Amino acid sequence: MKIDAVLVSKVARLASLEISPEETEELAGQLTRIVEHFEELRKIPDEELPGAPDRPSTPLRLDRAVAGRDLSFAEGNAPEFAHEHFVVPRVVSRND
Amino acid sequence: MSAVDRLLDGPAADLARAVREREVTAVAVAEKALGRVRAAADRHGSYLWFAEDLALAQAAEVDRLVEHGENFPLAGVPLAVKDNIHVETLPSTAGSKILAGFVAAESATCVRRLVAAGAVVVGKTNCDEFGMGSSNESSAYRPVKNPWDPERVPGGSSGGSAAAVAARSAPLAIGTDTGGSVRQPASLCGLVGWKPTYGRVSRYGLIAFASSLDQAGAFARTVEDAALAFREMAGEDPRDSTSLRTPVPDVLGRMKKGVEGLRVGLLLEAEAEGGLAPDVRKSFEGTAELLRKAGATIVEVSVPRVPMAVPVYYLVATAEASSNLARFDGIRYGARRGDGDLASVYTGTRSAGFGPEVKRRILLGTFALSAGYQDAYYGRAERVRALLRRDFDAAFLKVDAILCPTSPETAFRFGAKTADPLQMYLADVFTVPASLAGLPALSVPSGLSSEGLPIGMQFIGPVDSEPVLFALARSVEEGAGVWTLKPPDAL
Repeated sequence: MKIDAVLVSKVARLASLEISPEETEELAGQLTRIVEHFEELRKIPDEELPGAPDRPSTPLRLDRAVAGRDLSFAEGNAPEFAHEHFVVPRVVSRND
Repeated sequence: MSAVDRLLDGPAADLARAVREREVTAVAVAEKALGRVRAAADRHGSYLWFAEDLALAQAAEVDRLVEHGENFPLAGVPLAVKDNIHVETLPSTAGSKILAGFVAAESATCVRRLVAAGAVVVGKTNCDEFGMGSSNESSAYRPVKNPWDPERVPGGSSGGSAAAVAARSAPLAIGTDTGGSVRQPASLCGLVGWKPTYGRVSRYGLIAFASSLDQAGAFARTVEDAALAFREMAGEDPRDSTSLRTPVPDVLGRMKKGVEGLRVGLLLEAEAEGGLAPDVRKSFEGTAELLRKAGATIVEVSVPRVPMAVPVYYLVATAEASSNLARFDGIRYGARRGDGDLASVYTGTRSAGFGPEVKRRILLGTFALSAGYQDAYYGRAERVRALLRRDFDAAFLKVDAILCPTSPETAFRFGAKTADPLQMYLADVFTVPASLAGLPALSVPSGLSSEGLPIGMQFIGPVDSEPVLFALARSVEEGAGVWTLKPPDAL
């Protein structure tokens, strides 16, 4: 399968990544080559494949409250922190 | 050469014994090791962050408790920790600029366990960004040089940990292994390196790359040291829901019993798929012969879907990575970029903070999970992964462990594979199958190439077969004797 610049741009948008036009072209070539190699998996006939992956289920833990962490850790690592909260950019603007 | 220098050049077990018997103090060892850590960082780029205050405090505590009769198995052993594993009060960046300035609030469970056993953290080691790479060339900070030949890579992604131990700055290091990131650098740097059965060592405190594959492992110069690290790191952890609740198998006890009667399968696909370098092939054959002479039964065994493992791995791992790395958005931690609305901060932060290989893998994983492609790529990969597991189950009805080279070649030169990501990915052909199946595996040095570069052999076993794997590795270690050799560019 060929991955073209349009598809790279679409996937980059989904992944919240900005890619320059030059990078987009280069990535399109690299990803096409990689995905073409991955077409190998199609050689296995469908009837040989299990209906669903047989991964073990993740064990669940008890729903029990535990003590939280000191907020100084969050504050020390946050780009912006005020009044015991992370400061986030405006999500909805006046015009929205 | 001082007694402490001699101990730092030798196995961790000997060093711990000397501290326990108060021949030397842990503080004296830490002081000397910290000097070596600085030197290794300068010479090979193997460390990103130093742990002077922490190391001296931990060492003083070990000395105090040893005086009170505490019998630490790793008393005073300097420990290097990969930068994607948290150590309280130290930076944790996973080799990425997006986490520049991040300081860990607490230590990973595997670190806490090793420190409780007497180990002393001396520094955080360089790695491929978020564990994504096989050569340590995708670290956002600097590449790491291989102490066996500084013009060559140490392997990756835990290349800094491997180079640190090979150079004699620390006798023990830990890393993470998602698709071979402990075993492959161990092989390229002449060390023992293991990944456990999935769930045997807690993942709590590891920066996630691909959660169904990530495991912590260790590097050491001897099999006994590597087994000691396993014993101390393994065990149930309520803070990791995937941590195994069954008893930890006894690796040190089994190791002493040798390999007589064990059935070892030579991986048939190794020859066809790997494009083995001639020296690696010769060492593969030599290792089989060595094990035969030690009393093991050698047969050939096939794991037919091994050729599919690289595609499966790079679809599953990148899909999981695209999800795990979504948390790096510039809101709660890391370097925020962009000053407009929320979406522009997300995009600005991620575009500036992630390096090219991480972006490539996020794009690949996002593609594999996107509408219209998910069933054909991610879904199919997971179903082939199930077949691979069944292949291993069938193989382990015939043999106790599978032997194959860890890497098809020895350490390669910087830049040899960077232009073609697919070539880099294909180098993982022998390490990703065990990761996909959740099986334990280890790499042990088996010889040197004609260029004087280390070659590693890998043993893969069924779930909880670590005792057998360490016993087999011990037999190879005794026969090959590589562990006694010092790399030409060591400290």
